[in-house]
Amino acid sequence: MSNHTTTRPWKSLIELPENIWRSVFRNPLPSSDLGRASTSFTNFFLHLHPVKIHRNSLRAAFTLGLGLISFFLFMILVVTGILLMFYYVPSTTQAYDRMLDLRGTVAFGIFLRNMHRWAAHGMVAAVFLHMCRVFLTGSYKPPREFNWVLGVLLLLLTLFLSFTGYLLPWDQLAFWAITVGTSIASYAPLVGSQVKFLLLGDSTVGQEALLRFYVLHVAVLPAVLSLLVAIHFWRIRKDGGLSRPAEEDALPVEAPATQVEVVQGPAVVMATSAAAAAAVKPVLQKRQYGIQGLVRGPFTKVGNVPDRSVFAWPNLFMAELVVFLITVAGVLLVSLFFNAPLEEPVNVMHPPNPAKAPWYFLGLQEQVSYSAFWGGVGIPTIEVVLLLLVPYIDRKIAGVGKWFARERLLANFLFLTFVITNIILIIIGTFFRGPNWEFVSPW
Amino acid sequence: MSTRVTLAVVSFVVLIVHGIVFYDQFFNRWEKHQTAYFEQARSLAKTDAERRALDERSPRIEQIIVTQFGGSHVDRCTTCHIASDDPRFQGHAEPLRTHPYSAALGDTQRNGRWERRHKFTDFGCTICHDGQGRGLETFDAHGEDVFWPSPMLGYVTQVNWHAEYKPKLTGKEYMQAACAQCHTEENFAGTALVQRGRQLFFEKACYGCHRIEGLSNGTLGADLSDVGRKYKVNYLWEHTVNPRAFQPTSFMPKFDLTDDEIKALTVFLKSRRGINFAETSLGQYRARLQQTKLEETAKPQTTAAPSPGRGEQLVAERSCTACHRLGDKDGHIAPDLSYEGLIRDEDWMMGHFKEPKSKIPDSIMPVFGLPEADFHSISAYLKTRSMPPSFKTGEEIYKGLCARCHGEKGDGKGVTYLYLDPAPRDLTKEAFMNSKPENRFLQSLKSGVPGTSMPPWERVLTDDQRRAVLTYVFQTFVKEPRGQLKEHKVPEQNPVASNADSIHRGEGIFLQRCTGCHGRKADGKGPNSLDISPRPRNLRNSFFINNVADRRLLDSILYGVQGTAMPSWIDYGLTQNDVGDLINFIRSMNSQTGSPQSEKSPALTSQVSPLR
Amino acid sequence: MKTPVKPAIEEGGDAMTRRRALSWLSGFGLFGSLIITVFSNLIFIKPRATYGQPNRFSIGRPDDFPSGARVSLDERRVCIVRDGDKIAAISTTCTHLGCIVSVAETGFSCPCHGSHYDQDGNVTGGPAPRALPWFQVSLAPNGEIEVDKDSEIEAGNYLRV
Repeated sequence: MSNHTTTRPWKSLIELPENIWRSVFRNPLPSSDLGRASTSFTNFFLHLHPVKIHRNSLRAAFTLGLGLISFFLFMILVVTGILLMFYYVPSTTQAYDRMLDLRGTVAFGIFLRNMHRWAAHGMVAAVFLHMCRVFLTGSYKPPREFNWVLGVLLLLLTLFLSFTGYLLPWDQLAFWAITVGTSIASYAPLVGSQVKFLLLGDSTVGQEALLRFYVLHVAVLPAVLSLLVAIHFWRIRKDGGLSRPAEEDALPVEAPATQVEVVQGPAVVMATSAAAAAAVKPVLQKRQYGIQGLVRGPFTKVGNVPDRSVFAWPNLFMAELVVFLITVAGVLLVSLFFNAPLEEPVNVMHPPNPAKAPWYFLGLQEQVSYSAFWGGVGIPTIEVVLLLLVPYIDRKIAGVGKWFARERLLANFLFLTFVITNIILIIIGTFFRGPNWEFVSPW
Repeated sequence: MSTRVTLAVVSFVVLIVHGIVFYDQFFNRWEKHQTAYFEQARSLAKTDAERRALDERSPRIEQIIVTQFGGSHVDRCTTCHIASDDPRFQGHAEPLRTHPYSAALGDTQRNGRWERRHKFTDFGCTICHDGQGRGLETFDAHGEDVFWPSPMLGYVTQVNWHAEYKPKLTGKEYMQAACAQCHTEENFAGTALVQRGRQLFFEKACYGCHRIEGLSNGTLGADLSDVGRKYKVNYLWEHTVNPRAFQPTSFMPKFDLTDDEIKALTVFLKSRRGINFAETSLGQYRARLQQTKLEETAKPQTTAAPSPGRGEQLVAERSCTACHRLGDKDGHIAPDLSYEGLIRDEDWMMGHFKEPKSKIPDSIMPVFGLPEADFHSISAYLKTRSMPPSFKTGEEIYKGLCARCHGEKGDGKGVTYLYLDPAPRDLTKEAFMNSKPENRFLQSLKSGVPGTSMPPWERVLTDDQRRAVLTYVFQTFVKEPRGQLKEHKVPEQNPVASNADSIHRGEGIFLQRCTGCHGRKADGKGPNSLDISPRPRNLRNSFFINNVADRRLLDSILYGVQGTAMPSWIDYGLTQNDVGDLINFIRSMNSQTGSPQSEKSPALTSQVSPLR
Repeated sequence: MKTPVKPAIEEGGDAMTRRRALSWLSGFGLFGSLIITVFSNLIFIKPRATYGQPNRFSIGRPDDFPSGARVSLDERRVCIVRDGDKIAAISTTCTHLGCIVSVAETGFSCPCHGSHYDQDGNVTGGPAPRALPWFQVSLAPNGEIEVDKDSEIEAGNYLRV
């Protein structure tokens, strides 16, 4: 190692690119398990993932990639949103003109707007479908109750984020959708009118409302959403990865021969006797844990189960990349063929008939047409509360990690009823309601 | 391994999609137009310097920012129409063609060069042509997008324009609206359609209901001062053709208009955009000065003694026949005035002129703010027309006088029926016609039905003529022979004395039983009223109520009105005394002496209803 | 450092080269897309039409400027100079720190930091580093004078009208 002593400047120069590369990427492309583990560990973006994951988590048919799709759509929304902010002005006199400019004059302007619009609609749908997936596979069961709650909050935030963005083009569609939407909110007892006033900053939709919705849309809500998403992801790891069915071929617990270490929070339970092992068993089934423990050294196996885990690098990362690319390609293609709607400039005196809320609130508007309070506030509140409470009501641990598990027939039936009812209401509200909210046939 | 293959394939697909998007979005058609312009201009250039300057230019977005019309107005039309101000391109094809020079537009020639009156740098393009100045694609810029409120030349580029009207209005005709938005002065050259439209606005009595700043002061209809800015030409057109097309509840009458008249009105309305130069604050001030001067000079004229001649002139000037019929002119909307001089006396007419609702409470006739002398003139003129008609048979009389409202078929659907409230009686309803005594019909014919548009024919038709027409009606429309009338035992007078207690009880019953059809205000406009034919009676129509005897009210309420939706309330448990209370309540609303109820709605005055 | 390689990977060069080929393909696609994305977004951010007044504008006919006129169009930040039948447009944006220079008898002077220019825009005093630029002036086909602030020309290049 004489080089070390006689380092000459030109040698450093020659090695500069390589050194920079190494300082950024600590590992060469891995060719061993240790390398794979190390790659995951040493990369900021990759270390959010566990080093090894269960094979089940990679099954496309199980997750459908919906959570990831939601997240990637959010990323697309953040990027396109920030770019659009370069040209957007939240002013009632300029907003619509800026939309026209985006469409006509700014290079790629209409395309970015399309992407933002369709990705936003897509995200609402993806988050909702993700929730359906989680419910129908029973994945909200302990220990994942709180993550389900976070998920429901994320769904609400997504809806609100999309709703606030709806106003920004300041066209007839936006203006009346927000007028209708905030009016639905005002049906809430006691606080309703106050909430509306707070949102709009005025008694009607106007400049103040536009500014408020803009601030909510570009700063407040994305920040809150990002925070919750981070917690959501963190909880996935802490709750033992994605849900999966109990291992059918779990080896019987061999009493004294095996030392079982179960990581339970910071505490380590050592079970050395058969009795203790038996006591541990239910815990094991409940928490197929310890993936982190794999890389800690000698304890490469946790529990008496065959190792069905694989390294995150490259399996998981490639899968994620594929989902990301498919999402991007989907958004790009949709944006290429369909332009985001831009209707007439706001005409406060001339509401369209019917004035409709954004599609994801049309189920709500449909309900409101039957009963203002119950449809607009009562039932949605009950629905949200029930959704939040689901994991605390349904405590039976059975049928986790399987689609439409036989053991969860009733729960799935109830949930599907809820979903299908809402979808039908949305379809009715979107396609079957004409002027004066009268029933019309779309054909 | 399969993931790797998928990844490779998907990455490649994504790359291709990116490429397509880039290709799709990066290139602009306007660049081609500009390059073509540079090339052609180069071949036309006379000096080397010009050529050098052209060589240095590269395609870019050209824009005109106009700020003089309030706000900032961006027109990028010259990006494609880059030769619009280059006189050498007059023979070329669009978009590289010179905008024509024309003395009619105010352009002048100086030293053999044309100079524009409306410089593009000052006015931009969309001020005159409409369209969307910010767009750079034909679809956007010409306003082909159905959502753009002012498409180029009004409509020609938009697909949602009503196909049947399309051939009726050319772009050139539409352009008059653009000129007239600033040049609002009357008789401005080249705006013939707008002038015709303005005339029609007065000829068709539009001014009676609609306000246009500086022109008219109607309050019944919408303010049309900037209607041209708010609505597209097809909306204006279709709304003029059929006001109920967009608003089924609109009470604007459907006027008799030819296609050309509709076109003129539409173009005129389209020209009212609220940015009129002549009506800037200074212009308005001058106009107001002018107007007050006119009024001062005009006043002595109008205070001249009322004369039938002046009345005739006023009837023509003020376009009464846009709605009414008078002699051989007929607007097909409002009652026939041909025998008005015989039917009504001067007092009635004067009261009706000043406030039509004071005589017929649900009239849609607007209040025309003419000086009193003018009204006197008009009534004097109507009085001169005092020749009774020479009809002989019942059929002639019916066709001449009745059919206009009651309809040729007697079904109550004459040309004017939509605009009369209460609507003309459906004479074909046998159940009604045969359940009322003949005397009642004769009475209605003789003295009219107060508070409605049914006039007293006493002085127009003789007794025999009235009988003849009634016979004709029964023979032709009712058809069923009249049987024995079912006499109900009803006291002649209200059995309950009118006092505060009785009225209060009556109000309670009313609120409980009657509001569904007659409405909480008792104005006949309850929630069910739209589905009922004939419509429920307006019980606040004092002329009507005060002229109906207790007996008839008692009969109608207790035993119902056959052929209408009014049920027999005795079957629903109302006693004669209950009905007496109701009648006292209804009468109290209409009493001239002004009991507290007469002004307010019963629902608002009721403290606690005993029956609720 | 040599690490033990799993047999599955070492199995044969075929699998290895295929894997490498696939990686290259993916990498190519990803990198290409990234470049296109970044490039597109840069184009997006660069405004194609600005919201201020355009840089190429017409100032009217030559007769509007009598001989000897020095008319400063403050909104356009340009001074039109006419001398006999020669016309030119000189920038009125101070080359020092961008203030608007005012027209003085001796030429131009900047109110901010005291730079002075002569009538042709050459620096005669103050901190200004360069002379005021001259802009291309041309006679448009419709007979009006057009100033193009995007192209600077050498001082002293008048347009003859």
